[in-house]
Amino acid sequence: MEINEFVKNFANQFDETDASEFTPATDFRQLDEWSSLIALSVIAMIDEEYDVVIKGDDVKSSKTIQDLFEIVKSRKKS
Amino acid sequence: MHSPFKLINKNILVTGASSGIGRQCAIDFSFNGANVFLLGRNVEELKRTKELCAQDVTIKYFSIDFSDLGLLSNEIASICDEIGPVHGFLHAAGIEKSLPYQHLKIDDYQCLYDVNFVSAMEIIKTISNKQYRGDKAKYVLVSSIASVIGRLSLTAYAASKGAMASAVKSLSLELAKKGICINCISPGTILTPMMIKMMDALTEEQRTARKESFPLGFGEPSDISYAAIFLLSDAARWITGQNIIIDGGYTAQ
Repeated sequence: MEINEFVKNFANQFDETDASEFTPATDFRQLDEWSSLIALSVIAMIDEEYDVVIKGDDVKSSKTIQDLFEIVKSRKKS
Repeated sequence: MHSPFKLINKNILVTGASSGIGRQCAIDFSFNGANVFLLGRNVEELKRTKELCAQDVTIKYFSIDFSDLGLLSNEIASICDEIGPVHGFLHAAGIEKSLPYQHLKIDDYQCLYDVNFVSAMEIIKTISNKQYRGDKAKYVLVSSIASVIGRLSLTAYAASKGAMASAVKSLSLELAKKGICINCISPGTILTPMMIKMMDALTEEQRTARKESFPLGFGEPSDISYAAIFLLSDAARWITGQNIIIDGGYTAQ
């Protein structure tokens, strides 16, 4: 799996935030649009696109999109 | 002395008897005198439920899969041929899906609707038949408070549970002619294996907030089974078409 594609999939869960605001280093919980519903959408996206089931606490323990990407990547290998 | 709150000598079918609310209901029905017939997918877990039931009544289990509803009527008929008249039916079989609506697929809606709702209707079609129904039969469907309140990401699940609550009203009118009562129970958050899985998508803080949103805290499976015993007993002979909400005060707010 590839980080740029992951960032794009992550950004697709947002309606209003401009795509240019998303990079691997984005501290996503600081985004105005971030909400518990978007967290659920991100979990659903990761399940659909990467076939990895993550938990709410995994999202919470991640600061940046890169952090979340690493969690998904490590689960995908195993 | 006749106790109208007991289930003595009643034959009761329980779906979803392999875990959670269905299992607890089966156990508590058996200790209140019922012969209980356990339906579920997982035979090992059904055996475990049987072990937990009272030993002085008849307990049998049947492996049944709701993925092919076309076969269900016939399967239930052959079970009824074996067990005799059905006096009670508790439908606790159910699946969950917690997904924001934009991620829901047509299959998700259909699968939830079939397993949670249509399966119950197919079973009732058979057991309410003259040749199988017991005297003063009573049916209980386990819905959810999602049938009456909104919760993020539960659109498809709530639709399937709401279908039960509204179908029961119309169905109760037809079943009344046969002397049968049917009601829904809508539980709030009960810590069953299914609910624990559903709450995995939440953070620790969100789980705490969920718990605090129930004035009496989270429920236990027995909070539902005790109400089900009442609704299946002779004491509930004049209650039908209702959606009984058991939620630790959640919807009182």
